[in-house]
Amino acid sequence: MKKILAMVIAALMVTSIIAVPVHADDPVTLTMWCIATESDANRPAYEQAIAAFEEAHPDIKIEWEAFENQSYKTKIKAAMSDPETLPDIFFTWAGAFLGDFVAAGNVYCLDDTYANFQEQLPEVMLQNASYDGGHYGVPLTMNIVTLFANMDLLAEAGWDHVPETYEDLTACCDALVEKGIIPFGCAGKETWCVTEYLEPIIEKTIGYEALNEVFAGRATWNNPGIAESVSTFQDMINKGYFDPSGMALGNDEVKANFIAGKYAFYQNGSWNCGEVNDAEGNFQVALFPVMNAENATYGQVIGGPSDTLAVAASSKNPEIAANAAFELGRDICHYGYLAGSGLPAWTPDYDTSEVKALVADVAEIVAAADGMTLFGDTAMSADPANTYLDYVSLVYGTEIDGQGFIEGLAEELQ
Amino acid sequence: MKKLYSNKGHILLFLIPAIILFCGILIAPIVMSGYYSFFDWDGLGEKTFIGFSNYIDLFTSNRIGFMKALGNSLVLALLSVGLQLPLALGLALVLGKGIKGERIFLSIFFMPVLISTVVIGQLWLKIYNPDYGILNVLLRSLGLESWTRMWLGLRETALGAVFIPTLWQYVGYHMLLLYAGVKSVPKELREAAMLDGAKDSQINRYIVLPYIKPIIRISVIFAVTGSLKSFDLIYVLTNGGPFHSTEVPSTLMIDMLFLRNRYGMGSAIAVLLIILCFAFALIINRVFKEEE
Repeated sequence: MKKILAMVIAALMVTSIIAVPVHADDPVTLTMWCIATESDANRPAYEQAIAAFEEAHPDIKIEWEAFENQSYKTKIKAAMSDPETLPDIFFTWAGAFLGDFVAAGNVYCLDDTYANFQEQLPEVMLQNASYDGGHYGVPLTMNIVTLFANMDLLAEAGWDHVPETYEDLTACCDALVEKGIIPFGCAGKETWCVTEYLEPIIEKTIGYEALNEVFAGRATWNNPGIAESVSTFQDMINKGYFDPSGMALGNDEVKANFIAGKYAFYQNGSWNCGEVNDAEGNFQVALFPVMNAENATYGQVIGGPSDTLAVAASSKNPEIAANAAFELGRDICHYGYLAGSGLPAWTPDYDTSEVKALVADVAEIVAAADGMTLFGDTAMSADPANTYLDYVSLVYGTEIDGQGFIEGLAEELQ
Repeated sequence: MKKLYSNKGHILLFLIPAIILFCGILIAPIVMSGYYSFFDWDGLGEKTFIGFSNYIDLFTSNRIGFMKALGNSLVLALLSVGLQLPLALGLALVLGKGIKGERIFLSIFFMPVLISTVVIGQLWLKIYNPDYGILNVLLRSLGLESWTRMWLGLRETALGAVFIPTLWQYVGYHMLLLYAGVKSVPKELREAAMLDGAKDSQINRYIVLPYIKPIIRISVIFAVTGSLKSFDLIYVLTNGGPFHSTEVPSTLMIDMLFLRNRYGMGSAIAVLLIILCFAFALIINRVFKEEE
């Protein structure tokens, strides 16, 4: 009798654990991983957005952790191999990076939730996070490669505006070199920084459509226009337009040098706008000039919405997490735009009169853009992207020429 | 108690927690790495069994650069044994004699071991900075402008520039091991030799060195296996660049696993590293045994 009673009690206890009903009103804790560390330009935007979300939803708590960019890539990939370790919401880069996770079935499809936010978030902004017709990511901000110019240094070389043609750019660089000013700073230690120079040159030579095809693997790398672009880039290096120490420098050092007035130009992501805008000096933003007017226009840009929030398919509360991802994404975009750490992927429905001048200028450039090519290392999946970066590094070190670049990549990637 | 010890079941019962920990933490990951190394796998999707292809590619493909990375590690191991250990031994012998300020010197030489590798990396990054780094500033101030270099940015100089702090950091570690050995030499032996008229160099050669041979062997094993496993300082200073010229197997493994999503290839490198470390440890043991 005792045995039977014990078994009945045990069975009741187990059942009570399993069968606790989840009410919509029960407090929910959502976990989130991102890269907004203390030193990240987006950190205040995350803090404000999360505070606003928790205030609007007192029954939902966001437990979030921020990781350094490079180590985060390792962490998120490792977590993907055991989806149960994933948080409910996670930061990711769109394109092939997120695509690999989607293909593995680890990401929750956001189509149903998107319907509630369609008016605030144009569908084109979800393009880089859409796979097989489904939307899997909420874009935060969008960014493009921007040519930052120190107008005080340009004035020393006799220029009162940022050159808009390649001929003018080389004339300006020659004048700067003559004055003992280094025209460009580029961090060779971080190859993605080199792509911020090379990709716009390629795009302005062969056009954004052709470059998109190459990055997507639908067209060959063996394109004479790409070889010509590499030669142009290396000509600039050989003429002394780039800091000769660049190969040993990281991006933070190069950016600091530019802000300190060592370089006249710095070409990098528009996420730097806020920092450059707040620095002492007279700075302007522009785009790299057109190299071949038959294929490209000035308004073609490298970039697009890449920073994204996604929801794990393994989340216990996927619908709540999906809604949270959209609301957080919208508010991070809002506060980030006002702080100058990115351009809005969401349509602003708030006062933008206090947006920083350089950010507003880049926003205008984007508004007038003729076409976009997503960053090469984001557009390609991990293995080919790193092979591509290896070749870009060899180009910057002038270890291979344009022909070697296109032939090597054509052989290895296609 | 005797009854308890004679019961193998009891012994096994008490060993189970340790066995579980040992297998779970050490053996299982190695076995899993070995298993994954036979697959073409991106860490997410389906695995494709490819047999020994990953291993064959590592030794035959120039593109992967494993042989170059392994070569770099072996050069580092050679420098460790040829430069780092003699320097550490020299210091240990001098300090072991009981010179004035022995404790202070010991602490100073050991300090780099205590400092975080990331901090050391940052310090050396500043030393090597082409613009304001102390090395180039010193060369310029000595009128040797032509000797200044972009130390970490050139294929020709990067490997040497990375190895110097790597070797420097652990001189103190080996010195401490050897110092402990030198200090354990019985005083009577030294005194007897001195009474026989032996000089310091003779005492070191004929008494101290043979006495501390087991510790020298341990130091050599640590130096060689440490060189094969070297990762952190290289990762901070160059991350294997420029153009993979400072790549070592560990940085290549990280590149394959987490940048390229080639889990099979990364696992193959991990397995080879384990095998190499064991093989070198056994060879060194054998060499020392034969000498004895």
